[in-house]
Amino acid sequence: MTAARIIMNEIKGYHRFIKLMMVLVGMGALSAMIRFIFGLGVTTNLNDTYPWGLWISFDVVTAVPLAAGAFTIGVVAHVCHIKKLEPLVRPAIVTGFLGYSLVCIGLLLDLGQPQRGINVLRYWNVHSPMFEVSMCVMAYTTVLTLEFLHPVSEKFGWHIPLRLLRTLEIPFAILAAMISTLHQSTLGTFFLIAVDKLHNLWYNPLLPLQFWLSAIFTGLSIVIFEASLVHKYMGQPDESELLATLTRIIPWVMGVYIVVKLYALLFLRHGPLFDRPVLTALFATEMIVGVFMPFSLYLGKRIKTDKRLQLRAASMVIFGLVLNRFNVSMFGMEQANQQIYVPSLLESLVTIGIIAAHILFFVLIAKYFPIFEHHPEATDYTIPDRFRKVGRPGEGHGSPSEA
Amino acid sequence: MSAGTVNYAQTRSFLIDTTKCTGCRGCQVACKQWNQLKAEKTTFFSGEGYQNPPQMSEYTFTRVKFKDYEKHGQNEFAFYKEMCMHCNEPACASVCPVGAFHKTPEGPVVYDSKKCIGCRFCMVACPFGVPKYEWSKAFPLVKKCTGCYSRVKAGLEPACATACPTAITYGSRDEMLKEASRRIAAKPERYYKTIYGKEEAGGTGVLYLTQQPLDELGFKKITKRPLPSYTWQALRLVPGIFLTVGGTLSAISWFQHRKDRIRKEEEGMQEKDK
Ligand code: SF4
Ligand code: SF4
Ligand code: SF4
Repeated sequence: MTAARIIMNEIKGYHRFIKLMMVLVGMGALSAMIRFIFGLGVTTNLNDTYPWGLWISFDVVTAVPLAAGAFTIGVVAHVCHIKKLEPLVRPAIVTGFLGYSLVCIGLLLDLGQPQRGINVLRYWNVHSPMFEVSMCVMAYTTVLTLEFLHPVSEKFGWHIPLRLLRTLEIPFAILAAMISTLHQSTLGTFFLIAVDKLHNLWYNPLLPLQFWLSAIFTGLSIVIFEASLVHKYMGQPDESELLATLTRIIPWVMGVYIVVKLYALLFLRHGPLFDRPVLTALFATEMIVGVFMPFSLYLGKRIKTDKRLQLRAASMVIFGLVLNRFNVSMFGMEQANQQIYVPSLLESLVTIGIIAAHILFFVLIAKYFPIFEHHPEATDYTIPDRFRKVGRPGEGHGSPSEA
Repeated sequence: MSAGTVNYAQTRSFLIDTTKCTGCRGCQVACKQWNQLKAEKTTFFSGEGYQNPPQMSEYTFTRVKFKDYEKHGQNEFAFYKEMCMHCNEPACASVCPVGAFHKTPEGPVVYDSKKCIGCRFCMVACPFGVPKYEWSKAFPLVKKCTGCYSRVKAGLEPACATACPTAITYGSRDEMLKEASRRIAAKPERYYKTIYGKEEAGGTGVLYLTQQPLDELGFKKITKRPLPSYTWQALRLVPGIFLTVGGTLSAISWFQHRKDRIRKEEEGMQEKDK
């Protein structure tokens, strides 16, 4: 009883926004239950013409690149050894960890036979992009969980896992990048099979490369986006100086992306490009608002110092990526003169619930675990760590090891 | 995936001569009976033509499509039987993460419902829109024409081919192709000069002869390349890319950290010098 009372009291103290998020998550969970009781056919607007809908387009195809902040910043900070970016790593790992966990939930919801999900491990079909993505997502969720254990062990003072995790920091960053490269690009490979279905504005053999590149610059933009918001609404320190480093890296990746995209569009397409006005408009929006405008913002000088500009550019990139993934997985797949798929209320509630869950858990984790208080100058980073030097100053010696 | 053992010339194949089809829909009924499929409640004129039901579905593995057109000022009808094409290199089999589909050496592409996890990638991948889903169920499975594999294995012809009085011929793919060419050559005025399925999607186990140009009848234009090759050209790079990324990043990391170590050592030396 008392434990429940403590929790209730905690919750009472939360901000109204957090309570709203909790309600949304609850509604999403309820909708998910309804889906399992009554089945996909009744509760969603999916049908034989549109076997994949909002859950695949957003909860999987879009959420995976949106969670790419973890591996990109890991590479930049740990592998390229730009130490000052260290404070950005943990929030990104938490976001990635939450993102991937929720992708797994989204996938399970969408499967017709979720109880058989394990079959992916039993029957291998290496020719299937879906096989590859599921393997990678499982592997990467594991890696992220381990990385997430870092702040958890720190919070509870588990010394031995902490020391182990710290030694593994760089190998993990590399492993994360290896796995991410595969599944981020393979999400693009998914649609290579849809030769005669996906519109030429998006269909080309370089789609996997484009998916990978856009995941990288979006991942870094997500880091900017998140740090800006967290500074604005959660009273965390202003990181815009660190973010300026990122704004120097992003335009390079975006530049390559633009070149690849234009090259593919001009030389590798299979048919007419501008025969469907609606698709042309979607494509133009994606490219102008989501790529060219932020690209020019990132190139400018002012973004190095202007927080508001950083947030604006990052938001545009994110918008562009979301639109791009929807274009590829949904809009561009709709054939001319077909009825149009619109997600049902239940599908939308589940997706809203998943987004709300992400925000909610992020805020709660940030509240109870050392996510932001992690500045490298405060921690000893020599590897390996000398015995029991880890932990909050003064507590390291003599305290019983709970590992 | 395309098992190297399948000899496509010898796989059992359908030759469907739409110019001989009377639209009796005997095949449609035979398929329902053999596969014990429920009847569907339909209304007339619910689809684009006069056919019923409006689409293939979990209850309807094959369906005769009606198409009216004008010839010499006369209204004419054309019919064609829609079903799984039993592709030589099936897209459905290639994308299924658990390999629930496979091309049998006899020809039919069959589905193992016990493996399926219900991701519906097969439906997205099939260029002919064949696999259908049990949308009516809480834990649905995929449904499609089985090529009557159990009958074929027992040396029988598929139910629909047996029931058809005129239009369906069944035999090895090689023979069916020869027969189709022979018919076109014998009556050039009767046939449109393309065998649909000969090269579509890398060749299929169902071949069509028509009188009308294919697109007028509603046959989809499909790439000639086997579909699995489109994704495989990217997927086969996976191990290489995996190792390259790992190697490159390890090298960068080693290099970057070395710079740091050297700097530290130098600093240490300087401290000692002082
Ligand atoms: S027609 Fe479609 S379902 Fe049938 S074998 Fe080919 S890809 Fe598979
Ligand atoms: S729905 Fe089933 S058969 Fe189709 S691709 Fe997914 S697992 Fe394979
Ligand atoms: S081959 Fe068998 S399952 Fe396929 S359409 Fe003919 S009767 Fe139906």
